[in-house]
Amino acid sequence: MSDIIVKAASYLGPEGYGNSRTGLKPWPDALAQAVARGEVPDTSWATLFSSSCPRFGRMDALSRLGLMAVELLGVDFSALPERDRDELGVCLETRFGCLAADLNFLETLSPSVFTYTLPSTAIGEICIRHRLRGPVLCLIPANDNEQQALEQARARLRDGGAARCLCIGCDALAEPAVRRLGQRAGTQAGALYLGPDEHPSPSLACDGPLLELCRRLCVRAEIQYKSG
Amino acid sequence: MDSPVTIAACAAITALGDGLPPLERALVHNTGGLRPCARFSGRNYQTDVVGAVPDELWNQLREETPGYTNAPAFLLANHVLRQLRRNVTGRLGLVLSTTKADILALERVQAGQPCSEAARRHILPGQLAADLAAANDIRGPVRCVSVACVSGLLALQTGAELLLHNAADAVIVVGVDLLSHFVLAGFTALKSLDPDGCRPFDKDRVGLSLGEGAGAILLTHGVVASVSDAAVDVFPAAGTAATTPNLPLCIAGWGSSNDANHLTGPSRDGSGLALAMERALRKAGRTPGEVDYVHAHGTGTLYNDTMEALALRRIFGERIPPFSSSKGMLGHTLGAAGILETILCVLAAQTDTVPGTPRLRTPAADMPASLQLTPQRGVKLRTLLKINAGFGGTNAALMLEQPKP
Repeated sequence: MSDIIVKAASYLGPEGYGNSRTGLKPWPDALAQAVARGEVPDTSWATLFSSSCPRFGRMDALSRLGLMAVELLGVDFSALPERDRDELGVCLETRFGCLAADLNFLETLSPSVFTYTLPSTAIGEICIRHRLRGPVLCLIPANDNEQQALEQARARLRDGGAARCLCIGCDALAEPAVRRLGQRAGTQAGALYLGPDEHPSPSLACDGPLLELCRRLCVRAEIQYKSG
Repeated sequence: MDSPVTIAACAAITALGDGLPPLERALVHNTGGLRPCARFSGRNYQTDVVGAVPDELWNQLREETPGYTNAPAFLLANHVLRQLRRNVTGRLGLVLSTTKADILALERVQAGQPCSEAARRHILPGQLAADLAAANDIRGPVRCVSVACVSGLLALQTGAELLLHNAADAVIVVGVDLLSHFVLAGFTALKSLDPDGCRPFDKDRVGLSLGEGAGAILLTHGVVASVSDAAVDVFPAAGTAATTPNLPLCIAGWGSSNDANHLTGPSRDGSGLALAMERALRKAGRTPGEVDYVHAHGTGTLYNDTMEALALRRIFGERIPPFSSSKGMLGHTLGAAGILETILCVLAAQTDTVPGTPRLRTPAADMPASLQLTPQRGVKLRTLLKINAGFGGTNAALMLEQPKP
């Protein structure tokens, strides 16, 4: 079996957003304040991407953030053969999950909001957009930076449970959840696309927090990280 | 798989009561615990017929764990966890399966009502897992899995993987979810509940029934003897008609998938669930013809049950093994469902019983002939397939086998 490498990485957080090819960019003014407040506005997608995402407006913050982290990878999953997409696993890790949607549902009792009161709904949105039918998992750690999803993704890849894996960590915590739980507001997400070291292997050119994220995660999970 | 992951012990608390004997009796007699519940009567829900843990049991749980009287998710999960924990030495891990953790605490916080600090912590599923581990002196890896209605099967898979990667000598997998205003109102909003109680695979089925409870499964790697006498506790001398020795079951394979199709409805062709079953069979090195019994998801919703029948036909063709659903017995216990239904598979194998489908009267026309209305006794079940499907288009399958001699 060939080595498992990070084929692409993305990051969205207080420092900016970007991927392993472009590095980090500062947030546009229209989104900077919202990100600091832990919000993921309706306009986020159109501000960052030229592609369309008709479902984005109806999603909760967690699904929006997860979808953006995957889109930011800059990988055209539709170019993969169907067989590869069927074997592409998705592991999500989120500490606060769909708490914002839960509170929203208790306020509105709306069926369209209830749909988003499961953290794994974010995985469903990602799979629908990219037509991925591989193994799935959503882990909820007690603390930040446990990187459980990465460990699990690595296990899947090593065991042959998946040929490729998307590993996503994301949390968006805004009011009123911040006040209800006594936590800090914020938005942070990252995605890693892991897979076999195929030729020619892509080179990554991370910088700043994205570079730090990749190095830290890769060292912990013994995954090869190839710096450009 | 060279050294199998073994189900060494089980514990449960459900609408039927505390422990495995009530489950076994219901399995053998095809009965259930769905009934109107005063907690949900007179409100604007589609129904108050649910699988609720009886009030007297709740009172016992509060007395048993006085520091957590207002933390119901902890009370239920801790009750089953501690029964298995006391028999285990060595490196022990914990995997928690839940969809909403202590959702009652979130309701109280949202309404501005008093809420204990413990319950407030348990709004976050990961924190509930951490507190359960701390309270039971579990120092190995702790994971919390939350993937809708397939959480339980994916938690068992996660536990098995921890063992296979030598992260622990034993893992206890606990599933828990509560009945609440939140879930009743949510499924009412989706018009998914059967006012009279669910009728899985029935021609007149109109929806599901919700339930609550907790189940725990102790997983060990290899021989059960590595866990001190756990099996003695677990598999109590089976009920009246049991004739087989108390053998454990192994988790021989697992698989999951996403439909990539719809968030709240299953794929119409059953291909996603079939993919999960294929993966579980492949991992176990089994062919469809070797499966003795399928424990289905069988919620009682129109689309789920039809989708499952299609998925079974995709895998088994016209030679579908006996299959049934226990949602009419316990209700849909969400994050606990995969754990409790796996325990029912263990009890089925222990008692040589092909389970029936409580509350099913007349099978729908599109259901395969091997659908089990009533239990069938005296049948050896050596290879069992457990399947679940859930919101977000998720599917999961687990292959269970009696250990090879």
